[in-house]
Amino acid sequence: MKQVININFHGRVVPIEVTAFDILKQYTDSLNRFFANEEGKEEIINDIESRIGELFQERLKAGATCITDEDVHAIIRSMGRPEDFEPAEPDAGSYEKNNQGAAEAETSFQSQSSTTGQPKRLYRDENDKVFGGVCSGLANYFGIDVVVMRIIFVILAVSFGFGLIPYLILWVAVPSTATKEIGGMRKKLYRDGDDKIIAGVCSGIGNYFGINAWIPRVMFLLPFLSFVTRWNNHWGDFGFPDFVRLSFSPGALIIYIILWLVIPEAITTSEKLEMKGEKVDMNSIKNTVMEEMKGVQQRAEKFSKEAGAMAQEKSKIIGSEIRTAARRGSRSLGDVIILIFKIFAYFILGSIVFALVMALIALGIVSIGLFPVKDFILREGWQNVFAWGTLIFFIAVPIIGIITWLIRKLARIKRNSVPMRISFIGLWVIGWVCFICLIAFVSRDFKSGNTLREEEVALNNPGVNKLEITSLRSDQKYYRNRWFRIEPFESLEEDTVLVRNVRVNIVRSKNDSFRVTMLKMANGNTRRYADTLASMIQFNVVQQDSILLLDRGIPITRKDKFRNQHIILTVYVPVGKQVRIDKSIGWWHNVRFDGPWTNENNWDIDIEDAEQGWDFGIDYIMKADGLYTLDGTPADTWKHSENKNEDNPEGFRSPDNYRYDNPSIPVVDSLKLKLELEQQRVKDSLQRVKENIDRQLNKLQARVDNKKSLQTSSLMTYSPMLVVY
Amino acid sequence: MNIDNTASQMRKGVLEFCILSVIKQGEAYPSDIIDKMKEANLNIFEGTLYPLLTRLKNAELLTYRWVESSSGPPRKYFSLTEKGAAFYKELEATWNELANAVAAVTQPSTTST
Repeated sequence: MKQVININFHGRVVPIEVTAFDILKQYTDSLNRFFANEEGKEEIINDIESRIGELFQERLKAGATCITDEDVHAIIRSMGRPEDFEPAEPDAGSYEKNNQGAAEAETSFQSQSSTTGQPKRLYRDENDKVFGGVCSGLANYFGIDVVVMRIIFVILAVSFGFGLIPYLILWVAVPSTATKEIGGMRKKLYRDGDDKIIAGVCSGIGNYFGINAWIPRVMFLLPFLSFVTRWNNHWGDFGFPDFVRLSFSPGALIIYIILWLVIPEAITTSEKLEMKGEKVDMNSIKNTVMEEMKGVQQRAEKFSKEAGAMAQEKSKIIGSEIRTAARRGSRSLGDVIILIFKIFAYFILGSIVFALVMALIALGIVSIGLFPVKDFILREGWQNVFAWGTLIFFIAVPIIGIITWLIRKLARIKRNSVPMRISFIGLWVIGWVCFICLIAFVSRDFKSGNTLREEEVALNNPGVNKLEITSLRSDQKYYRNRWFRIEPFESLEEDTVLVRNVRVNIVRSKNDSFRVTMLKMANGNTRRYADTLASMIQFNVVQQDSILLLDRGIPITRKDKFRNQHIILTVYVPVGKQVRIDKSIGWWHNVRFDGPWTNENNWDIDIEDAEQGWDFGIDYIMKADGLYTLDGTPADTWKHSENKNEDNPEGFRSPDNYRYDNPSIPVVDSLKLKLELEQQRVKDSLQRVKENIDRQLNKLQARVDNKKSLQTSSLMTYSPMLVVY
Repeated sequence: MNIDNTASQMRKGVLEFCILSVIKQGEAYPSDIIDKMKEANLNIFEGTLYPLLTRLKNAELLTYRWVESSSGPPRKYFSLTEKGAAFYKELEATWNELANAVAAVTQPSTTST
């Protein structure tokens, strides 16, 4: 259904569809612009219009009720669009130009304009271009050789990657020389609504640069692909994503959204033609005539109206900018720079908002991940309520709010729903309250530590030569292939989790037997409760020959809750005996809740003369001045270098003194001594091999035992094998 | 070199000559000119023709008179002025020269006989 209007077209009454009339009007406008500087312009236009009128008449005579879009298109096709016209000579009739010779005629517009006294303007040279003709345009403008300009740009691009940006900006900002040719095409950037996947940004860009729409599409998609792989990497390596870095990688999305907001959609036919460069050209340089100005102004007004309707005040600003720019006849470099700055500002703003959302989502994921273990930390009642409140109101509400806001913005819903905003803010305030209460409540429960009391661990054979401290933990790791996993606790069962908060200290023993003490620690809302919790820690340490077997972790039950329970195990190693601490007891699994409430720094209780610097899985031997590896390197290199000068002050003879320069041994016969030392060394190494084999056997035996017990009942493993109180 | 550009330059050169020759054969209405050109397989847009006619008229090579038409407003019929006829003669001579020269250059075998 189309509206038909009657127009008086050169003395003929023509019924014409409204849309067809629009097309006709645009066409005649374009002709007006095309012939703006032509001598006898009025006459030409009149002739053409009366011919069009004649053609209309023919159609109507043939029985058409009115002139349709197709009719107008057909007529325009036969008349030709301005850009189809044979390029007109600026002053035909007088043939002076021919006399000026081919050279002058060949020169680009710049020289012509300079001879005619018009200001020199910067154009991209379409006739001599590699990519966009920027270099040749600049060279023309400054009167330099193109090659020099190109070399400058290539060097800039290669050395800093810097040349690319100004090149691209100039490509977009500087009008092409094609525009100064009458009927030359002047493209405008529109979103292509006919060929869109999301909003037609990519296809619009493709149209503008005359490339397939899939090229910009792929360019937009690539960052997303890298975003996905990066996500996976972080997941795999750390089990925990790096959100700050992630949040900036999908920049393409933000750019897309900004372009979506900034670029108007091509709606009218002329806009669509303009988008593809088939247009009637709007900003032709020759348009200095008043008619032209009016046309552009009208268009710009329409344009800014559309822009205003499209988004809110922001795009209105841009719309008015475009209007002012259009008023000046064409975009100047300054406007474009301002526009680019604006886009950057939006980009940064968008990044910040995005980072915020991502941080909130991260917080949400962490808290959701922690939720299964919530019962082991939080008490029933208020703490639980606040935990839920925090999750819902503090984390979920702003995420939903921001997403809703974005969607509304993109969907161009301009209605400002105040109640919605207020309710969102209100809910978030509740979320804050919950969050603060939760922190306050939980921190109160962690407030005080227990009374420290060292317990002696009974060893059934403290006289062994070597003690290997290892844990029941098996070497294999269980990975459940879930997309998200945070497991602060070793194993999560129905009502017991294990937390591996075990720390081992090595101290030189005063006598010649091994000794192990255990310090149990916990937090609680009162010292007394902390004491209770500490005493409830069941952590078994069993010696099996040269192996000191530790439990897998501290069991925490739902009833008792997790209150930073941890254990410090102090192993007293006699001088001359070996010690090895297996990786399996590793303390990087430490889980604890820290906060301002931990006024007593009870975690890192300094045990006097604890050995420093030792590593897991390495055999050490205790000497008078600390731990050494078997081949004589001190464990604590820092301390050793400090004490270097006081070599063995007590004159102690360590058993492996063959490696150790002991000044107390008189060097009578160096050869004999060397021989002896060699023999000793061979003996020792044999001994070591034997020990090694023994140890391996023991280990295997222990493992087999463990597996058996594990199979029968997993709880059995934690059940006291040897109560050490 | 752009082939379109070159082709259009060539066409532009002969266009005026062709139009003048059509008009020389008798008073012509622009759409008649277009039709004749089309018959000769020389496609031009009417939008190109009108400005050209106006320019030639302004150069006093052409003149026109209004002829009443059965349908609607009167039409413009173009005819050559004296100056135009002389101009045409000159062009014709140049064209013949040019045509011979081009033929000689592009097809040396036929011209040598």
